[in-house]
Amino acid sequence: MKVTWATHGGQAAGIRLSLPPKALDTDALPANAAAELAELVAAAVPVAEEERPSRARDAMSYTITVEDGGRSTVLTRSDATMTPAFAALLDWLEEHAP
Amino acid sequence: MTRTYTLHCIIPPHLLEKLLSSDDSEVRQVALDTMLTTARLRGERAVRASFAGAAATPGNARRTVFDCQNGVFLPLAVFARSEDGLESADDSVNRAFGGLGTTRDFYKTVFNRNSVDGRGMRLDGYVHFGRRFNNAFWDGRQMVFGDGDGRLFSDFTGCLDVIAHEWTHGVTEFTAGLDYHNQSGALNESMSDVFGSLVKQWSLKQTADQADWLIGSEIFTPGIDADALRSMKAPGHAFDNRLFGKDPQPDHMSDFVNLPDTEPGDNGGVHINSGIPNKAFFLTAMRIGGFAWEAPGLIWYESLKASHFETQFQDFANTTYRKAAELYGDDSAEQLAVLAAWQDVGIQISGILAGVARARGLAADRNGGTGRENGLATVNKQIGALTAQVTGLVRDVNALKGQVTTGG
Repeated sequence: MKVTWATHGGQAAGIRLSLPPKALDTDALPANAAAELAELVAAAVPVAEEERPSRARDAMSYTITVEDGGRSTVLTRSDATMTPAFAALLDWLEEHAP
Repeated sequence: MTRTYTLHCIIPPHLLEKLLSSDDSEVRQVALDTMLTTARLRGERAVRASFAGAAATPGNARRTVFDCQNGVFLPLAVFARSEDGLESADDSVNRAFGGLGTTRDFYKTVFNRNSVDGRGMRLDGYVHFGRRFNNAFWDGRQMVFGDGDGRLFSDFTGCLDVIAHEWTHGVTEFTAGLDYHNQSGALNESMSDVFGSLVKQWSLKQTADQADWLIGSEIFTPGIDADALRSMKAPGHAFDNRLFGKDPQPDHMSDFVNLPDTEPGDNGGVHINSGIPNKAFFLTAMRIGGFAWEAPGLIWYESLKASHFETQFQDFANTTYRKAAELYGDDSAEQLAVLAAWQDVGIQISGILAGVARARGLAADRNGGTGRENGLATVNKQIGALTAQVTGLVRDVNALKGQVTTGG
């Protein structure tokens, strides 16, 4: 499984504009870390489409792309629509970023 | 005007209702639990807030700060400080509380505006949002601040202009309601930078030439080689290092950055092209001189109130020119400063020829403004160009005369 994630916008949008997305491959992770990631991904896959509030300003948005077995799933959230599961996944990814 | 607020909960209420009728009993139970929890939290918060603010008059821009305790779900945040409460042991709480108050006092004292909505709306701030959260935002009803990751960014409550920036997003929401895309979005961002900077200048009692005109100058950790998030004085020069690259903000319409109107494209570059109106405000303030929150701030504030959802750079420039005349008179130093400032960032006020604008701009510089030398140089160039044209015309006329004579 390969997970790619990117952050956009926010107060520091000018800085983020030039930053490339980050990526992690479970093949390159220890087995327990790979299992943790798989669990977090499964929990973050939204059961319903996210509602995008139009009035949030300076909120960052996040795109996490999960490629697994030929399938690709894209998860998106913003600071104003963050779920605990999405936040946990993002947090884990940032902590393990290469 | 009455506005209705909706809670941005994790799962929208209409979906929760749908889930309540799911065939799966577990899904039904989860939906029910979520609805009950949300309702309970709403109730708790309302009771808690009213208790906390019992000594303050309701609707009097009363401040309340909540601690997210590194969570991301605002209704779960715990009460940290209110108007009648004691100072907190937490610096982030106190900084947010102080920043909300300074901004509230600025708007009240300078523009006689009673809170974000002009009607004493309560001011709710949330600190310690998420973990290593490098941002601050206005969610449509309240202000949220992260701690920063401690590696690149420090606590976002550490910058008064950043707090005032978010506060002003609320003001814009309740006045022009500038659409958060492309030019109107960049104006929205610029308003927050302009008044964010003015709040800082007001609190420090700085004149335009004493101010640093930086947004978020304390936002980076000490080891980071960057001045700030943005510079209104020199857009495009707030940072230039290996980690962040170069500040992409333009300071002139000729360098306007066309980005896609998507989240990766910063909604058409709302935080990028704001450099252009930011620079126009800076130039106006420098030309007028003195305290920037006085004439320049008032012209911008009145123009914001006279703007609307789809206002573009050109519209806003025209409005500031008109407002300057209404407030200070036609051809006043203030109006001429506005005219010259927009011209310097590549925006001609509608109905005024460039040469005339430049000549009038010179009048604005009579008292010694930063644009004086540029203005003189430009007028000299224009005179030179006109002289060359006249010389050419005389030559052409003489040549024609010669042809007529020869032909006759």
